[in-house]
Amino acid sequence: MTTRTAKAIFLLGTLSSGLLFLVLTWDTHRQIGALTHADRLSDEVVAGKRAFEQHNCNDCHTMLGFGGYYAPDLTRVYSRKGEPYVRAVISDPDKVLAKSFRKMPHQRIGAVEMNSLVAFFKWTNEIDTHDWPPQDHKKPTSSEARRLVSAAPLSRGAALFKANGCFSCHKLGGVGGDAGPALDDVGSRMNAERIQEQIANSKAFKPDSVMPSYSQLPAEDLRAMAEFMSEQGGGR
Amino acid sequence: MIAYQSQKVSYAYFVVALLLFPLQVIVGLWLASNYAFTMPQGLVNVFPFATARAMHTNLLVLWLLLGFMGGAYYMIPEESRSELFSTKLAYLQLVLLVGAGVAALIGFIFGWTQGRPLLEIPFALDLVVVAGALLFLFNIGATIIRAKNWTVLQGTLLGGLVFLALLYLFGIPFYRNLSIDWYYWWWVIHLWVEGAWELVASALIAWVLMKITDVPRQVVEKWLYVIIGLFLFTGISGTGHHYYWLGAPKYWLWIGGIFSALEPVPIALMVWDTFRNVKERQGKIVNPVVWLFVVGCAVYHLIGAGVWGFLHTLPQINYYTHGSQVTVSHGHLAFFGAYALLNLTLFYYCFPQLKGFERFKQGAGTWGFWISGIAMMFLGLAFGVAGVLQAYLERILGLGFMNAQAQMQFWFKIAIGAGVIFLVGVLIMVVDLLALKPETAESG
Repeated sequence: MTTRTAKAIFLLGTLSSGLLFLVLTWDTHRQIGALTHADRLSDEVVAGKRAFEQHNCNDCHTMLGFGGYYAPDLTRVYSRKGEPYVRAVISDPDKVLAKSFRKMPHQRIGAVEMNSLVAFFKWTNEIDTHDWPPQDHKKPTSSEARRLVSAAPLSRGAALFKANGCFSCHKLGGVGGDAGPALDDVGSRMNAERIQEQIANSKAFKPDSVMPSYSQLPAEDLRAMAEFMSEQGGGR
Repeated sequence: MIAYQSQKVSYAYFVVALLLFPLQVIVGLWLASNYAFTMPQGLVNVFPFATARAMHTNLLVLWLLLGFMGGAYYMIPEESRSELFSTKLAYLQLVLLVGAGVAALIGFIFGWTQGRPLLEIPFALDLVVVAGALLFLFNIGATIIRAKNWTVLQGTLLGGLVFLALLYLFGIPFYRNLSIDWYYWWWVIHLWVEGAWELVASALIAWVLMKITDVPRQVVEKWLYVIIGLFLFTGISGTGHHYYWLGAPKYWLWIGGIFSALEPVPIALMVWDTFRNVKERQGKIVNPVVWLFVVGCAVYHLIGAGVWGFLHTLPQINYYTHGSQVTVSHGHLAFFGAYALLNLTLFYYCFPQLKGFERFKQGAGTWGFWISGIAMMFLGLAFGVAGVLQAYLERILGLGFMNAQAQMQFWFKIAIGAGVIFLVGVLIMVVDLLALKPETAESG
């Protein structure tokens, strides 16, 4: 090979790849608005992005799979864990993650900042990521999902229990989070009325509870969930 | 031993880089401990993992860049056959960059951050970095222009450095759209390590090889053209392998997959080129340790960046490994193989000359190379096994993140062990280099 040929390889390689890359960058700009629902990119969402950066969340959590690998990916956290859990864990990480072997720092986040963070997660939840991450997209294969799929047709209360993200904090049948108590025998401790009141306003019974209030849900939904839970007698 | 007095500025850059390297490793050990053990809430509140990670990665970038810059200040006078344009500006630049670095590290502890991984340093410090970069490019450029002894090696080095500086600018603004933010974040990170930095590395390595082998310049420059041509051909469009899942169009799966599958080719060519030069050398080997590092760097570059990168760059695999400990494994092996070893090669080549002797005692350098090289391999494997476990448990079986992490704890403890041994290897090299002694008659 001569130096001339070598130089031609350099120029051709660099320019062809560079040109392709720039053209595709231009085309990506054309399409990315639709893929990310940029029309929903409100000032509140942008404020949430700023808060997300200001508190350096991204150096522990991945977002779109980028960042620190220390804590769960947040791209789909809004649908995976539900809004009440997201709010609870940000405001009281020490209590919500009390049983976790990995801790999250307490960040002192005000109400406005909290709302914008939640808006930001709600927006990232909708980005078209070609079904990434797999754990939040693939066909239900996890035991939790299988269990619920089989339970859902049997009881409206069970379906609501899942839909409202109760599993994010409570265990039932060995499945679920551990921020709150397991509910396997809740029916032997309380009746349906008492459970319904506690779902609506947990703090009335336990002032230092981190459980959010669900009083905004329709009364019949609360009732159905409470009845489902009152049937959980712990093998009684 | 140095031909131009102004080459001495490189020593200051090298020494600072050498001191920052072990600091980066120590912070890394702290990070691994955070993975392997439960830290008390009170400590996490004041010094979270995120802060330490920002320090770990920024220390990496700082010590590597200072090494490259020192390397440029060492090489350019010899290549252009003239003194540097200004040594005062070179020292001022060092003070600016190290000042910005120290301010950033302290700032992180108090939450002064831009909050974007690897690009955490706040806007005010970005400006200082830009000022330092401009001083650097001006100084190098003015030296080359004034000397009027143009060579391909100088062109490649300067081209890589200008490209590097330009790309940094894409990481400075605030982007409203998160996906566009990450799109350009990769212009800095990917196009640095798989573009601009490869140019800098190729030029510096080719130059060191030419100096220690006396292989004719034309041959070195001819292959340099081919190598950097292939690096840029595969590397630029290879950026697409970061665009698979961030909200960009689907064709990036094809572009990223195809171009990045070719990324190991130029690295393999570099390994072949190194071995060819070694075989066709004209002079005799003065310092075997320098050879060990040159060859080791090429081979480790191929393993860490080439093979490990290839392993999870195809979209079908990356779907399950993206953003897992597999990425951590690749990151460590690639940065160590391609860039940490490049800097160490430069240090071992330049230090004796800067200190004014030819042959130095070879023992510690050899031990340092093998200890750190093998320990890093174990570190990469420990993270790799943890990553495969994570991909399987979390992404295929659907276990929750923390349930999957619980199964990976053992490998994080192994990582701490490998990290401690790695630190020992690093300290051996740092102490050896800082106190480098000429080999006397009786010790030889």
